[in-house]
Amino acid sequence: MEQTSVILLWLAYLLYAAAFAVFLIGFFTQRAWANRLGSVVVAVGLLAQTAGLFLRGVEAGRFPFVGLYESMVLVAWAVVLVWYVLQWFTKLKAVGLYVMPVVLVLLTVALVAYDPPAGLLPVLRSDIVVVHVIVMLVAIGCLYVAGGAAIIYLIEERLLRRRRTGGVLGRLPSLATLDRLIYHATLLGLPFLTMGMAAGVIRAETFRVQGWATDPMVLLSAAAWAVYLALIAGRVRGDWSGRAVSWLAVMGLVLLLVIRFAAVPYLSGFHTFGA
Amino acid sequence: MHVVVAGISHKTAPLDLRERLALDEAAALRLSQALLDEGEACEAVALSTCNRTELYLWARDSLAARQAALTHLARHAGVEPRELEPSLYSYSGDGAISHLFRVTSSLDSMVVGEAQIVAQLKAAYQLACDGGCTAVVFNRLFRHALEVGKRVRTETAIGERPVSVSSAAVELAEQVFGRLRDHTVLIIGAGETSELTATHLKAHGIDRILVANRTLETSRELARRVGGEAVQFEDLGEHLTSADIVISSTSAPHYVLTRETVERAFKRRRHRPMFLIDIAVPRDLDPEIDKVRDAYLYDIDDLQQVVERNRHEREKEAQLAERIVAQELASVNDWLRSLEVVPTIATLREAVEDIRRSELERLGNRLSDLSDEQRAQVEMLTSSIVNKILHVPTVKMKEVAGRDQCYLYVDAVRTLFDLDDGDDDGRPSQEAAEPAEPSRPRRLGAEACEESGGTLHHLRDTGTERA
Repeated sequence: MEQTSVILLWLAYLLYAAAFAVFLIGFFTQRAWANRLGSVVVAVGLLAQTAGLFLRGVEAGRFPFVGLYESMVLVAWAVVLVWYVLQWFTKLKAVGLYVMPVVLVLLTVALVAYDPPAGLLPVLRSDIVVVHVIVMLVAIGCLYVAGGAAIIYLIEERLLRRRRTGGVLGRLPSLATLDRLIYHATLLGLPFLTMGMAAGVIRAETFRVQGWATDPMVLLSAAAWAVYLALIAGRVRGDWSGRAVSWLAVMGLVLLLVIRFAAVPYLSGFHTFGA
Repeated sequence: MHVVVAGISHKTAPLDLRERLALDEAAALRLSQALLDEGEACEAVALSTCNRTELYLWARDSLAARQAALTHLARHAGVEPRELEPSLYSYSGDGAISHLFRVTSSLDSMVVGEAQIVAQLKAAYQLACDGGCTAVVFNRLFRHALEVGKRVRTETAIGERPVSVSSAAVELAEQVFGRLRDHTVLIIGAGETSELTATHLKAHGIDRILVANRTLETSRELARRVGGEAVQFEDLGEHLTSADIVISSTSAPHYVLTRETVERAFKRRRHRPMFLIDIAVPRDLDPEIDKVRDAYLYDIDDLQQVVERNRHEREKEAQLAERIVAQELASVNDWLRSLEVVPTIATLREAVEDIRRSELERLGNRLSDLSDEQRAQVEMLTSSIVNKILHVPTVKMKEVAGRDQCYLYVDAVRTLFDLDDGDDDGRPSQEAAEPAEPSRPRRLGAEACEESGGTLHHLRDTGTERA
């Protein structure tokens, strides 16, 4: 079963890579079919990844969120899912091209850091931990998408300001599209982030974890939360320009990446379970 | 027989001559029919756009056809033929066909890559077709030309990026706003370019057009033309709040909008982006506006730059298009050559001979009882039946071989005996040596103007002529 799971995840990896290639073709030839085909390929990849994750969970006898391998696969899964749902509801086209590389990087990290499924540490045997992880994953998926869109927004804005109107500009999604994507993704992600953090706090309080409130990871998460809250508030009141909103989304993204790739493995007193 | 084209275009004639030579539908038809009636041409199509007037003829004598075209065009324009002579260009044969293809591909247009020419050519052809001025050759040739135009558009990026100031402005607006529905454009001043841009924007789905001019009359006039509403010039700052796109082209010597005005508007519009286009010289909009957050200001130079770059791109694509034209020319030539009498007779004979031989083979078993002598007699009998049947058509075809209408007979024979299907080995050797182009399937379909319809019409005409 472990083998099937790995094969399925590799399959998903290859499908995402294929989808990326199709999106690239669409980007250069400006053909609508490429985006449609790419979406279908991603959907198949998502199914394979879901099945792979499920089997991994069955094999380990628990929710698959322990260790670098599982968490990376989970984050990638969440990003794809969020993008897919958002694309469905907001009719955003041509964003898949930018989502796929992120997913591929995440999965590459995961596949390099592969470890066989292991039993669960006693600390993690708790329903609220599972809730915490799932909710956080959705939040992270949304906020990565928002951050990615913000980066493109800033690039495009700069191209427009510098009158670099040839070449790549005509192939990027419009500023309004990106602005909407940033807003919607954050609007979806922030409540999940809040819930996830609340679940974490409850769990820490119940088990009387020492010094959780001053843990660098918790502090950084609180900072990210504040950034996203500011983004939503500013956007709703209309005080901030598209640029400011984008910079906030990028800032949030940087914080999340620092948490995942620096704070969790090196700085945090806890949260370092699988590695 | 040759395809001949004679005409003038923006490359050879000044505007006033082009104006005089412009043909409305009635004149186009009259001219074509006159040429047919005089017997200078067997088929004719007149194409008239604002940049060109051309007569396409299928004629026996290309020089005589050119002369007749010149005379008729000069008469229509009310000038002496020798005055028209220096502006008139003409091609025949391959030159004419590739000219037609270059025209439909918009390679010969003033703005390379523009899209209207295909529709204009289609209308010209349709008119000639309905007026009975086209038959086998032009029905096929013009439909092929329209397909060449389509192929060039889909296979090259020749018409992709905008090359006019107004369409470049629209494209940039779409880059900022995405779909333009639910957006508002504010036009300040009533210049031609701003009107054109407004019309473009409207075609791209923009909802609301506001027009502000110093004199309310002028703004009402423009508002009526573009389907917008006129607003007071004094309330400009106020309307700026609801405007997403601003186009300014007043003749004011000073800035009409300053950075402060725009910033104030932004406070109230909650930082939805704004795209401002300044097409006035001297400038209407303070360049500082571009520094306001979420405001994008493009002036006439910026837009010209966009246009220049895109035009350069198009020229590169045009080279690809020329290659397509050359390919298509070869495939049309293959077909035209098949309209000659002698190869058709040969193909027909071969086809019938094939039938005879295969029927004999089919009977092979039953003929085995016959003696050699009897078998030779059967062979001779069948051959002579075939020869007798083919004799009259062969003679008749050779009779018409020199005449104008011969290709109609050829086409009829080819259609009736289905000679165009897999006829590669049936062709004379010099044709087989030609590079093989993918030949398009013949269409005798139910389009508005059927090839077969045209054929019958003309066969009837020749019939009465001879009676």
